[in-house]
Amino acid sequence: MNKLTTFLLAIVLLTTACQKDNRYQTVLEDPTTFHKAVDRLTSVIVHDIFSPPVASRIYAYPMIAAYEAMHLKQPEKFQSLAGQLNGLSQIEAPENPNLVHYDLAALHAFLTLGKQFIFSENTLVVFQDSLYTELKAKGMPRRLFKNSIAYGEKLASHIKDWADGDLYKQTRTYPKYTIREQDKYWKPTPPAYMDGIEPHWNKIRTFVLDSANQFVPIPPIPFSLEEGSPFREQLDEVYQVKINLTQEQTEIASFWDCNPYVTHQNGHAMFATKKITPGGHWIGITKIAAQKAQQDLPTTINTYTRVSIALFDAFISCWDTKWNTLVVRPETLINNHFDQEWTPLLQTPPFPEYTSGHSVISRASAVVLTDLLGDNFAFDDTTEMDYGLPMRSYTSFLEASEEAAISRLYGGIHYMMAIEEGVNQGQKVGDFIVQKLITNKNN
Amino acid sequence: MNKLFLGLLGILCYCCTAEPALFEIIPSSQSGVDFSNTLKEESDLSILDYLYYYNGGGVAVGDINNDGYPDVFLTSNQGENKLYLNGGNFRFRDISHQAGITGKSSWNTGATMADVNGDGLLDIYVCAVVGINGFSGHNELYINNGDNTFTEQSKLYGLDTQSYSSSAAFFDYDLDGDLDLYVLNHAVHTQNSYGHSDLRYQRNPNTGDQLFKNNNGVFVDVSESAGIHGGVNSYGLGLATADFNLDGYPDIFVGNDFHEDDYLYINNQDGTFRESLKDWTGHTSRFSMGSDVADINGDGYPDLISLDMLPRDEKVLKASEGDDNVQTQKMRIDRYGYHYQFTRNMLFVNRPDQGFMETALMSGVAATDWSWSALFADFDNDSQQDLFISNGIPKRPNDLDFIKFVSNEQIQNKITKTRLVDRKALEMMPTGECQNFIFQGKSGLKFVDKTRNWLPQVSDVSGATAYADFDRDGDLDLITNNLNEPTKMYRNRSDGKQNYVQLKLQYKEQNSIGIGTKVYSYHNGGELQSQSLYTSKGFQGSSEPLIHFGYENFQKVDSLIVVWPDQRFQVLKNLPVNQRIEVSYDKTKPWTSKRLRKSRAKVFTEVSDQLGLDYTHEEDNYLDFNREKLIPYKGSDRGPAVALGDLNGDGKTDVFLGSSKFKKSKLFLQQAGKFISTDSIFPDKTDVKEFTTAVIADFNADQKNDLFVGAAGADFSGKSSALKDHFWISKKTTLSEKELPEYFGNSATICVFDYDQDQDLDVFVGSHMITGNFGKFPSNVVLNNDGNGNFTVLQPKALQEIGMITDAAWVDLDNNGDFELWVVGEWMSPRSFSFKDGEFRPQSFKNKSLKGLWQSLSFFDIDQDGDQDIFLGNWGLNSKFTASPKKPLKMYFDDFDNNGQTETIVAIAKGSNYYPIHSIDELTGQMIQLRKGFQSYTDYAGLTIEDILGEEVLEQAQLLEVNELRSGYLRNDKGSFEFIPFDFLLQQSPITAFQKDDFLGTGNPQMLAGGNYFGVKPYHGRFDSFPGALIISENQTELTSALGLNFTNKSVRSLDTFDMEGQKYLLVVYNDDKAEVFQF
Repeated sequence: MNKLTTFLLAIVLLTTACQKDNRYQTVLEDPTTFHKAVDRLTSVIVHDIFSPPVASRIYAYPMIAAYEAMHLKQPEKFQSLAGQLNGLSQIEAPENPNLVHYDLAALHAFLTLGKQFIFSENTLVVFQDSLYTELKAKGMPRRLFKNSIAYGEKLASHIKDWADGDLYKQTRTYPKYTIREQDKYWKPTPPAYMDGIEPHWNKIRTFVLDSANQFVPIPPIPFSLEEGSPFREQLDEVYQVKINLTQEQTEIASFWDCNPYVTHQNGHAMFATKKITPGGHWIGITKIAAQKAQQDLPTTINTYTRVSIALFDAFISCWDTKWNTLVVRPETLINNHFDQEWTPLLQTPPFPEYTSGHSVISRASAVVLTDLLGDNFAFDDTTEMDYGLPMRSYTSFLEASEEAAISRLYGGIHYMMAIEEGVNQGQKVGDFIVQKLITNKNN
Repeated sequence: MNKLFLGLLGILCYCCTAEPALFEIIPSSQSGVDFSNTLKEESDLSILDYLYYYNGGGVAVGDINNDGYPDVFLTSNQGENKLYLNGGNFRFRDISHQAGITGKSSWNTGATMADVNGDGLLDIYVCAVVGINGFSGHNELYINNGDNTFTEQSKLYGLDTQSYSSSAAFFDYDLDGDLDLYVLNHAVHTQNSYGHSDLRYQRNPNTGDQLFKNNNGVFVDVSESAGIHGGVNSYGLGLATADFNLDGYPDIFVGNDFHEDDYLYINNQDGTFRESLKDWTGHTSRFSMGSDVADINGDGYPDLISLDMLPRDEKVLKASEGDDNVQTQKMRIDRYGYHYQFTRNMLFVNRPDQGFMETALMSGVAATDWSWSALFADFDNDSQQDLFISNGIPKRPNDLDFIKFVSNEQIQNKITKTRLVDRKALEMMPTGECQNFIFQGKSGLKFVDKTRNWLPQVSDVSGATAYADFDRDGDLDLITNNLNEPTKMYRNRSDGKQNYVQLKLQYKEQNSIGIGTKVYSYHNGGELQSQSLYTSKGFQGSSEPLIHFGYENFQKVDSLIVVWPDQRFQVLKNLPVNQRIEVSYDKTKPWTSKRLRKSRAKVFTEVSDQLGLDYTHEEDNYLDFNREKLIPYKGSDRGPAVALGDLNGDGKTDVFLGSSKFKKSKLFLQQAGKFISTDSIFPDKTDVKEFTTAVIADFNADQKNDLFVGAAGADFSGKSSALKDHFWISKKTTLSEKELPEYFGNSATICVFDYDQDQDLDVFVGSHMITGNFGKFPSNVVLNNDGNGNFTVLQPKALQEIGMITDAAWVDLDNNGDFELWVVGEWMSPRSFSFKDGEFRPQSFKNKSLKGLWQSLSFFDIDQDGDQDIFLGNWGLNSKFTASPKKPLKMYFDDFDNNGQTETIVAIAKGSNYYPIHSIDELTGQMIQLRKGFQSYTDYAGLTIEDILGEEVLEQAQLLEVNELRSGYLRNDKGSFEFIPFDFLLQQSPITAFQKDDFLGTGNPQMLAGGNYFGVKPYHGRFDSFPGALIISENQTELTSALGLNFTNKSVRSLDTFDMEGQKYLLVVYNDDKAEVFQF
C-alpha cells in the first residue's frame, strides 16, 4: 500500500466516522476509562489475595503493554521500552497503523494480560464486555474495532512471552523457607503463622536494575538481646512506641497498613480483612496525581508505567535484602522474651523484617512521581476510603512516602533501621530508574 | 395423612432396609419431652463474639424419684432448664416449674447428676458461663428434696462458682468416701499468638479448671495444691474420670480445644495429681471436644476416645480449614512446648503400665465431622462396646470460602467501623448440620460404621448426649440435646434379641450410687468385660448410673466381680441373663488389680548407659516437604547407618554408627566388656555426608573385616559427591579409605553377596529415591569384586527401576544351595532375582501382586517346615492411606505443569471415587496453573482426581500403586508363597526393622519387630505407638512392652543382637534419638 492510498483510506474512515458517530473516541481518549480498568484490576488483586511482590508484577506487565501502544501512537513523544527493560524486544508495528486505534489496543492488551495474571477473571470480563458494547454503541467502526483488538492481542502476547521468561513460573515450585532455630532468624508470626512469602523473589528478572542486588543496603545491626545493645535499643523502641502511641500515629499506621490479607480468629470463627497492597496504594496515588494534573491518556499511562516499573524493581531489591538478612520480626522477640501477650498494632506480615518493604517501594514510587510531576505536588490521598479508612492529605509525594515508612514503626512491625535503610534503598532504586529509563522524550 | 398411616409407612420403610434400624426417634409429641435449646435470634451475640456460642446445652439422666425409671434433665443456653419425669413406656412429664430447677444463669452449659449429699437421692449440678458477654449467674446445685422438688444450694455447698464452666464430674478422688467435684472451664484467650505452654501454670479464676474437695458437705477449691493446671489457655471441652492405671484411685482426662494440650492427671494417691499426658500419649486430638472411657478390648483396662472435627465428606473436608502447616506445628512443639496434636478423633487403647496406643484410623473412628459427644456402650448387646458420636454445628466458621472470600466484602466495613458483625455475613457461612455416627464394636479394636443401618437418617446439630434404659427393656436408649430444634430421644429396638444384665449399685453413705465402682464380668469361660461407674461422660452430660453388659446369646454369666471404690470386692456367680440386679455393698474382701494382669517376666533389661555405647543420632534440619511439597513422606530421615562386626581383628563385635549430615559418624570398638568410641577416621561435621546403611565384611580377603557405608539424605542430587558411598579397608591398626568407582544415589540398603560364585564378596546397593524427583524409580548397582576389594560398577538390567528400594537380602530359602536376591521397597511388590547364565533374572511369583510400602525384609521359618518364610514390614493400617487389590492407593507421577520439576499426587479411594489427599492450597502451592480452575474452595471440594487434573493428564502420568498396607509374611510352602498378615497389633505403625534371635531362651528363635515413623505431614499424624512385638509362632505374638522393651514414641531404624563376654545384647538404633542397649 502506498502512502497515498493510506492517506485516502484515512480520510474515508475519518469522514465516515464523523458523519456517523464518533462518541467512542471520547470514551477511549478519556483517561477515566483507563483508570477504571486499573481500579478493576486492583479489586481482583485484593479479592484473589496476591502478596505485595506478586501484585507488583500483576500491575507492571499489563501497564508496559499499554505503554507500548502509546509509544506506537505517539512515537515522536514516547520512546519504546524495548531495549530499555531487561529482555524486552520491539513489538512488530501493525501492518496498517491507521486501522488500529491505539487507545483501544492499549486497553485491550492491559485487560488481556490482567486476566492472565490473576485468578478470578470475571470482574475484568464484565468490565471489558460492557466497555466494548459501549464502544460499538457509540459508533466505533467494526473493522477498526476488530483490528485494534487484534493488535491488542498481539501486544499482549508479545509481552506475555517476555514475561514468561522472568522465572516467575519456575520460582512457584522453588523450596519454601525452612525455619532456622536461632533467635535472630525470622520465624512465622501470629496469628496464622503463615509460611514466608516469596523467598525466591530475588530470582525474578528485574526491569531496569541490573540485578536484584544492585543496591544492597548496609547490613542490619547485629542481633543482640543484651540490654543497651544497639539491636536491643531498636527492639525497645518498637515496644515503647506502642505504649506511647498517639491518635495521629495510630491513624497513620492504619492508613498505610496495606496488608492484603489480615486474618482474624476468635476460636474456630475466622475471617479475613483484605486491603490493597503497598504497591496498590501507590498505583492509587498515581491515579489521583494523574487526574489532578489532568494528564491525557498517553501521559497517564506513562505515569502509571514508570511507577509500576519502579514498584516491581523495588520489590525485587527489597525481597533480596529480606531473604538474605532473615531478620526476625519484633513481635517474635517480644513474645518470646519479654511479653507473651504483646501484639503489634498492625498484623505482622509474613516475611522477614529487614528492610521495610513499604519504605523501599514508597520511596521509589515517590521519587518517580516527583520526577514526573514535581516536588510540592499536594494531593488528597483517598485511596484507602474504599477500605474504610479516611482521606489523608500530603504536600508532596516524598512527604507521603516518609509517612508510609515511619508508619511501620507505629504499626509495631518494623525496627527503625529497616525503615531508614529501606528509604535509602528506595531512593537509590527510584533515582536509578529516573535516570536510566527514558519514556517521555520531551521530559 | 393420619398418624396411623404415617406409622405404617414408617414400618414399611424399616422393612425395606436389609437390617432394621437399631434406633428409632420417639417424637416429642409422643414422649412429651418437648424441650428445645433455641438460641435467641434477637441477641447480639454470635459465634464471632463468643467462640463457644454453638456448643449447646447439657443433658443429665438419672432416676430422681427412685421409681426405677430414669428421668431427664436438660439445660438451655439462654432459656429455662427442664426436668422430665419418666412414666415408663417412653412417656415423660414436664415437672420443671414444680421442681424449681429452671435456673437463673444467663448461659447454661453442662449438667450432671449425682447424690451429692449421700441421702440416696440424685441431685443435679448445672454449669454456667459467667463473666463474659454480660453473662451473669453461677453454677447451680439442685439438692433433691425427695418429693420431686429441688432446692438450689450451691452457695451452701461452696459450689456456686462463677467461671466459664462447660462440664462437671463428681467422683471420689481421695477415696474418703464422699464425692468430690471437678469443674471444667473453658478459655476465651483472645490473644492471637499461641503463647508458651507454661501459660498453663498461671492460674486464671475464670478459665482455669477447678478441683473441689468435699469436706463434710462443704466443697473447697483445692485446684492449686492438687496440681491442677489453671491457665488462660485451657479450652476445656472434654472431661472424663477413670482409674486409668488401675491403682484404685480415679484419674482425670481433660480434652482442651485449640493448641492447648489435653491434660491427663494421674492420681498420686495423696490428694494430688501429676499431669502425665506426654508420658501416656504420643499425640492427641488438636481441637479436642467430648470424650468417653470404656474397656473396648476386654482387658480390664479403661480405654479412651477424644473427639475432634475432621470431616469425612470430601465436600466439607476440602472446603474447611485443614491440618496444621508442618513447620507451624514443629514450631509450636519445639519452641512453645506443646505436644503433638492432629485434627482427628483419637482412640487411646490402654496398655497396662505402658500408656496409650492410638488406633483411631485403624479402628475406623477417626473422622466424624464436627463432633461433640462420644458414648461407648453395648447398644446391640453383643458383648462388645459400641460407640455413638453426636455432631453438627449450625454454621461452619472454618469454611475457607467464608474466611477468604465471602467474609471480606460483607464484614469488612462493619468490623472496621463498628466492630460488630453483620448477621447477613454470618448467614453466608455454610450449614454444618450432620448425621450422627454410630459404630459397632468388633474384636481386634475394630469399629464398623453402622450409621446407615442403625440410625434414622437425619442431619441435625446434636450436642450433649446421654444413654439410659428409659423403657427398662434391657437395651440402652439415647437422648441428644440439639440446637434450635427439639431434643431427640432414640429408642433402642433390639428388644431382647440378645441378652443382657444390668446392675444398680448401692454403695455406702456419702456415695450411694457407687461412683467409681468397677465391675468385671466373665462369661463363655473367661471372656472378660469391664465397666466403671462414672456418670459424667460424653460432652456436657451425664448418663444413667447403670452398669450394663450384653451377652449375645449366652444364657448365663459365669461371674461378676464388683470392686467398690474402697478397693474391696464381692463376687456374684452363675447369673442368668436378662435381669437387673441390685447390688449392695456386702461381705466384701480386699481387692488387688493384680488379679487382672497376666504376670509376665521381663525378658529385656536396659543397659544403655553401662557399655559405653553412647550414641545419639541427630537429624539435620532439612525438610523434604519444603522442596517437594506434595510428596507423601520424607526420604531424608532413613538413617542412621548401623553395622556390627569385628573391625580390629580381635574377634569381638564392634559397632559402626553413621550420622546424618553435618554430624560425625562413630565407631565403637569393643574392649574388655565395654565399647570405646572413635570418630577420627570419619569426615568431620562440616561434611554433607549422610550415612544410612552400612556393612562390615572382609572384601579384600585379607582376613580382616572392612567397612562399606552407603550415603543418602535426599537433599543432594545428580552427581553430587554427597551421594557417593564410602569404603574403608582395615589396615593393621586403622581403617583406610579406598575410593569407590563412580556411581551416585540415595543408598538405602547394602547387600553383600557372592552372586557370581567367584569366592569374593560383591555388593548390591539398593537406592531409595532420586532427590528432587520423588516417585521416579532409581537405578541400582551391583559392585563386582575382583577379589581384592576393587569394585566394578554393573547395572544389571533386571535390577533397574523396580521400586523405591528399602531393603534387600541374598538368601537360600530352602537350603538347597540356590541363592536369590530378595528386594523390597515402596510402591512395589517384593521381588526376587536369581543369577543364572551370567544374568540376574526375576523369579516369577504365582501369587497376586503385593504392592506395598515395604520397609523391611527378614527371614524366619515361622511354621517350622524347614524352609525360610519371608518377613515383610509394611506401612501398617493406622493411616489415612487405604489400599486393597480392588481399591489400591494411587500415586500419579509426572511433570504436571511442564516446568521441569516433577510432582507426585497421591489419591485415596473413598467409595467408588479417588480423591487427592491434598487441599487446593497445597496442590496450587506446587502447581500454580491449577488455581485458575478453582476460584473458590467449594469449586474444588468434592472433586475427584480425574475432575481436577483431567483424565487425559492422568493417563499420561505414570501411575504407582499400593494394594497391601499390612505387614506380614510370605509363608513359603515348597516354593509357593502365601501372604499372611500379622496380628492387628502389629499394624499400628510401619515396621522398619526385624531381628531374629532366641530372645526367650527357648532354644528356638523368635522374630523381633520394631517400627514407628514420623516423616509425614500433620495430615497423617505420627505413627508413634508401636512398642515392638515378638513373633513367636504362627499363632503367638506378644507386644514387647510387657517384656521390658518399648519403642513407643521412637522411630526404630535397626535391631541388632551381639554377644559380649558370654552375655547377649540387643542394640536398638533410632532416627533422631539415643540408641539403646538391652541385655536378654
